[in-house]
Amino acid sequence: MAQQRTHVDDVDRSLYDVANAEDPTARFEAGLTPEIVTEISRRKNEPEWMLDFRLKSLDLFSRMPAPDWGPSLAGLDLDDIVAYVKPATDQQSDWNSLPDDVKNTFDRLGIPEAERAYLAGVGAQYDSELVYHSMQDAAAKMGIVYSGIEEALGDPQWEPIIREKFMTLIPPHDHKFAALHGAVWSGGSFVYVPAETRLDYPLQSYFRLNAKGAGQFEHTLIIVEDGADLHFIEGCSAPKYNVANLHAGAVELFVGKGAHLRYSTIENWSKNMYNLNTKRALVDADGDVEWISGSFGSHVGYLYPMSILKGDRAACSFTGITFAGAGQNLDTGCKVVLAAPDTSAAVETKSISKDGGVSTFRSSVVATERAERAKASVSCQSLMLDDKSRSDTIPAMDIRCNTVSIGHEATIGRIADDTVFYLMSRGISEEEAKAMIVNGFAEPVSKELPLEYAVEMNNLIKLEMEGAIG
Amino acid sequence: MTCEPKLIVTDLSASAEDAPILRHVDLTVNAGEAHVLMGPNGAGKSTLGHVVMGDPAYEVTSGNIVFDGKDITGLSPDKRSRAGLFLGFQAPVEIPGVPVSSYLRAICEGRAGTGDMKGKQFRRHVQKLAETLDMNPAFLDRELGVGFSGGEKKKLEMLQLLLLQPSLAILDETDSGLDVDALGVVSRGIEAYRRQPGATLVIITHNTRILEHVDIDAAHVLSRGSIVAHGDAALIDDIDAHGYEQFAALPVAC
Amino acid sequence: MDTAVLHSVNAMPAPTWHRLAMNHATIDVPDDLALEHRADVRCDPALFGEAGAFDAALRGLQVHTFGTPEAACSLDDAKALVERETSPAGQDGFNPLDATALSAFQTRAAAVEVTRSVAGAFETGMGPEALDFLREASGAAVVLATAPGDAPAQASVRTFALEGALNACAIDVAVADGTELDLALTHESGKVSRGMIGSSLRAYVGRGATLRLSVTQAAGEGTTVLDDSGIVLDEGARLVVRHSVLGGDEAYGGLACDLRGTGSQASVTTRYIGQNSQKRDFNFVMRHRGEHTASSLNVAGVLAGSSEKTLRGTIDFVRGCKGAEGSEVENVLMTSDDAVNRSVPVILCGEDDVAGNHGATIGSMNPEQLFYLESRGLSSQAAEAMALRATVENAYFDAPDSFARAAVVAFGRVHFPDFEESVA
Repeated sequence: MAQQRTHVDDVDRSLYDVANAEDPTARFEAGLTPEIVTEISRRKNEPEWMLDFRLKSLDLFSRMPAPDWGPSLAGLDLDDIVAYVKPATDQQSDWNSLPDDVKNTFDRLGIPEAERAYLAGVGAQYDSELVYHSMQDAAAKMGIVYSGIEEALGDPQWEPIIREKFMTLIPPHDHKFAALHGAVWSGGSFVYVPAETRLDYPLQSYFRLNAKGAGQFEHTLIIVEDGADLHFIEGCSAPKYNVANLHAGAVELFVGKGAHLRYSTIENWSKNMYNLNTKRALVDADGDVEWISGSFGSHVGYLYPMSILKGDRAACSFTGITFAGAGQNLDTGCKVVLAAPDTSAAVETKSISKDGGVSTFRSSVVATERAERAKASVSCQSLMLDDKSRSDTIPAMDIRCNTVSIGHEATIGRIADDTVFYLMSRGISEEEAKAMIVNGFAEPVSKELPLEYAVEMNNLIKLEMEGAIG
Repeated sequence: MTCEPKLIVTDLSASAEDAPILRHVDLTVNAGEAHVLMGPNGAGKSTLGHVVMGDPAYEVTSGNIVFDGKDITGLSPDKRSRAGLFLGFQAPVEIPGVPVSSYLRAICEGRAGTGDMKGKQFRRHVQKLAETLDMNPAFLDRELGVGFSGGEKKKLEMLQLLLLQPSLAILDETDSGLDVDALGVVSRGIEAYRRQPGATLVIITHNTRILEHVDIDAAHVLSRGSIVAHGDAALIDDIDAHGYEQFAALPVAC
Repeated sequence: MDTAVLHSVNAMPAPTWHRLAMNHATIDVPDDLALEHRADVRCDPALFGEAGAFDAALRGLQVHTFGTPEAACSLDDAKALVERETSPAGQDGFNPLDATALSAFQTRAAAVEVTRSVAGAFETGMGPEALDFLREASGAAVVLATAPGDAPAQASVRTFALEGALNACAIDVAVADGTELDLALTHESGKVSRGMIGSSLRAYVGRGATLRLSVTQAAGEGTTVLDDSGIVLDEGARLVVRHSVLGGDEAYGGLACDLRGTGSQASVTTRYIGQNSQKRDFNFVMRHRGEHTASSLNVAGVLAGSSEKTLRGTIDFVRGCKGAEGSEVENVLMTSDDAVNRSVPVILCGEDDVAGNHGATIGSMNPEQLFYLESRGLSSQAAEAMALRATVENAYFDAPDSFARAAVVAFGRVHFPDFEESVA
């Protein structure tokens, strides 16, 4: 038998790499001008304040510097990025009404099947617009709203609420790509869960960027009222092109008193993607936000979901895994602000680097003067699978209250020889032992990923470790 | 020997993070006596010591603790210490940056005798006690617990016992993990403590070796959070010969 | 002096969000400060070395590390090379999206290694701006050099604040192969309303040699202290550092260690206190370049009043440092609601065969410690007061020479009336 190498495979991408043809007429000019922004707003028939907001954001964007501390953005020429690509369909609530190529794409990704099996509602975005949106009647009867955010903006019942909340957690002046988002955002979901309402099945949004050289800038706004409970799942993918694509979405989550929100993301963009996504949650007293985050794709990633714990006893947790392979520089982590008494945060992350990939864990934990008796624990572990890769850990803590208890631990290393020896001494082969260790390393995080994604997860990290050691 | 009760624990129940650990424990220790508290691993022996000392990690859910005739159940640990109670820790903590000498001075401050001593006098006093425990005087300049061996940590607990001269000392597995030499030193420390007038002792252990040098007035067996047997020193030999299983059949006190 | 502001001091190698204001410190230097370079130096006169001893030692290390006295290229050329590999304007037929888009610091870090230059990679914890400033202000450096075969040597250097002046001292050290040097630096000040103390240490520790560096900073009010050092370790060299940072309105401490030699080891223990509105700002960088190198950083302190502290601690496993181990432990006890603590414990890693770990606890005393102290009769306030005082007493016990002991006693006396007696 030919000698096989023990290796950890790249994420298998064949599933995602099927690109569809584009309808060229729906594509805007590349680059960013007030004219393009005005045209996006006009086509969407938006209220006047939104156009103003977009133009102000564009102005900010042009004046703000790009981040100088993270992965290089030199390969991202914003003048080449197409801000808006309209798919050749209007929004549907029946998969069969979609054009065949769009429907086939989502079929391949298993979205309709998942919807039938376990989801309470699904939104699917294709390039710049939502093409599908549907929710079970039962959920609608509970008063839960799950719709396209643009649709909600056109509804007099929701327009004032969106206006009040829109980009308040992520103001355009926050950073350059927040400003960009404010200028050209398009598509995305709006979710409203009334007080004391509990949805037993998750809602899911899936974002597919098909157009070459385009940007996707969807905005997700979720309001979970006092005592309510929601699990929201977000998935994203794109076929690979040889030019840069950009994703600069924004997610704003409002978690009410005693409410609970679990926000799970499987990010699997193609390796030409610059993923500069911004996500934030504001948590009221006794509320709880749980972030589950798997980052596997993208050429460059900047992703740090932020939890602002403003109410007493509010809590957050962040559980993340990042897998950086060849050509990837994934700068991921989280931000926590403990801004009230007895708030608490738990962060646990794992990262794996291989084949020259770079993974950086970056975080900030800020405890304000008000954070009496607050607690935070941060634990990050990094695994290096070879000596060509890189793994950096940059956690920052700013503590302004003396009754807090903040703990931080980080470890970095490779698969430990003594662990392999121990397992081998019990009769396990070396390759099995290593596979067991890598699986065990990822397991505490991967088990938190939505169960429904188990199959996708297996496609994502295929840990093939068979045969002799090469 | 006087027969006044030093410590009366009545119907004491305690839990940690909502898990009950002690259930309705009754225990009386008279002044001047030496008691031993035995029991299998996980029985709650250390917890009882910690609860009597007022460890906030445990919540008292029933009963009370009376020390020298005063209910101390709601008292903070430092006030219990100042009242004359001492707990020798099974696992003494490490406090980096705090030299042993600074620490010892701080705990003696305001106490009769040691608290009034001038710097040099205090140091000499501590060094003399250290000698009786075979401790290298250089330990005084080291950071509390940092880099101490298990034996050194236990010796430092004994030193504090002799320095603070409590009227009741609860020694929580002070003998565990010690080699023969260190065990001898700890025994000598216990004997020295016992020579103080009124010294009352509760030894928590599951190893009878340490008891060879101490006259034991009473023995108690704790199992699953409850006292399942009271007896005199003969109980120790019984346990040595037959183990704890004989008590498992006994009805749990409630 | 025309320099009024040092813009980037104690900059951490891998920056993070600017909004956190942790990436570096900025120091204002009043431009009317007089320049002084007065220091008391005590050692065997034979220990005084020739100017240039440090640079000569690095040249020796350069030759036996890379086999040539010359760097392979300049840093700029090296950066260009690294960038070319990842640049969008790369070679024909090469898609830049297939290359890893390194950050600016990752590019620079890779480039430093490409230069193959010991001297070019030399750095101090406070960084080039502060190094130039302190060297310029110091005049001629005190040069201490052991010779092969020397018995273990000791040297004491004391600097002090002078009214309205910057009193700076530069020290170059070369510890010859197989020798040992104990170097004690003491920074102190009597009553000054305004003064700065600066010290700039560059040290080379030879093969199998040991440098024990003890820095006792017991400056008084009105004083700003800049304590900067950069140390290069050859094969099997050992560095043991002990910092006691007690006083000064503002205290900046930088230490960078190049663990270049195979099997070299560095351990740094830092104890500090902050009171009133004092400011402490530390930047420690451990660059593991040699195989089987080991480093440990252990930093603990007490923050009272409205004092502020920033610690940037970086363990950098440079590609090629197979078998290296690095650890960092930090404990911060905050005894006041107005105190501010900032910590950035960074691990950078370009090598798989390493073990790095970091642990930190920040805030109030942990419950087990507090219960232990309470069970011995200390209230929580008394426990916190003890922790502060103990740090000063500890500095006394760890003081390596009479300069340091006297400085700590003078400092302790100001804060605790019975200090002398308690440590006597």
